[in-house]
Amino acid sequence: MTSMVPGAGDGEIEALVVDRYLEALLARRPADVAALPDDVRAGAAALATDLPRFHPSFRFEEYLAMRLAQATNQAPPAGAIVAFPAKVPASASAMRPVVIGSVLTSAALSLAGAVFVAWRRSHPSPEAAMARAVRAVARTRPV
Amino acid sequence: MEATHGPRVFPLDRDRALVEAARADPAAFEPLYRKYVAQVYNLAVYELHDPHEAEDATERAFLAALAALPRFREGATAADGQDASTFKVWLFRIARNAIAERRRTLRRHPETSLDALAMTPAPTDVEAIAVHNEAAAAAWQAVASLPDDRRQAVVLRFVHELSTAEIAAILGRSEGAVRVLIHRGLRRVAAQLGERR
Repeated sequence: MTSMVPGAGDGEIEALVVDRYLEALLARRPADVAALPDDVRAGAAALATDLPRFHPSFRFEEYLAMRLAQATNQAPPAGAIVAFPAKVPASASAMRPVVIGSVLTSAALSLAGAVFVAWRRSHPSPEAAMARAVRAVARTRPV
Repeated sequence: MEATHGPRVFPLDRDRALVEAARADPAAFEPLYRKYVAQVYNLAVYELHDPHEAEDATERAFLAALAALPRFREGATAADGQDASTFKVWLFRIARNAIAERRRTLRRHPETSLDALAMTPAPTDVEAIAVHNEAAAAAWQAVASLPDDRRQAVVLRFVHELSTAEIAAILGRSEGAVRVLIHRGLRRVAAQLGERR
């Protein structure tokens, strides 16, 4: 027999013959089985038809689909470019107060709060019970 | 004069459209998942012999594939034929790694002995499914008793009906080595099945 693959040993040649047979068998084409031992041919036919195929349960398949969807929602696509305006858009005037306003409001509340506390300490209401208590405590403390 | 620039890549990957859609928007990964989840799970069952372990490995494989998708490079060539899918090969390689990692964990912290499962005919959940068909059970047990590399090659060839070239890419072997693995595995399986007859 002439070697089909230069340098290939007998085992490799036999493996190549079997490979060609399997190619035809799995493609459901007629194959030349003359060169194959009967047991190998029977074994190949048994494996091609008898080996079971396993399918995941519907519950698992749907669970993993949901898990993958969650994973895609958590992470932005790799290499994604986040849009950043190169110039101030026309609607910037509408956006600006939201951003700056929150800062001003925060600062204004802080300033107003400090002023109110200072004024309240210097102008306690004489009628309020709490104010009387505060004054009584303040008098007992050493200056 | 025509310049040569190495092997030319042809747009032959049958999953190209799905892969590009998933790259543009990871939410579009689902069609690829639906297409291959059964095959990855099936591969995991043959390697791990346990449906729950197979689910775990399948989950890890798809999460890893989703994370690595931006790094996937299509490489189908004209020689691979019109049904070539380098994405499928790439996904199976990831699945194989996930399965191998799970096997290592099970060996370090054995809950059930994989070797015992492979060597004894005592029914597992998987075998309980196959027992409905005596021939299927015999084929399953014969394949399960093969050494790892032969079993993987035989399963990829007969169950997933992958080409020798695809199996070689998944296992990281030459095509010649894969042919020999399948041939030796087949001879051993044939001998075992012959003894049963």
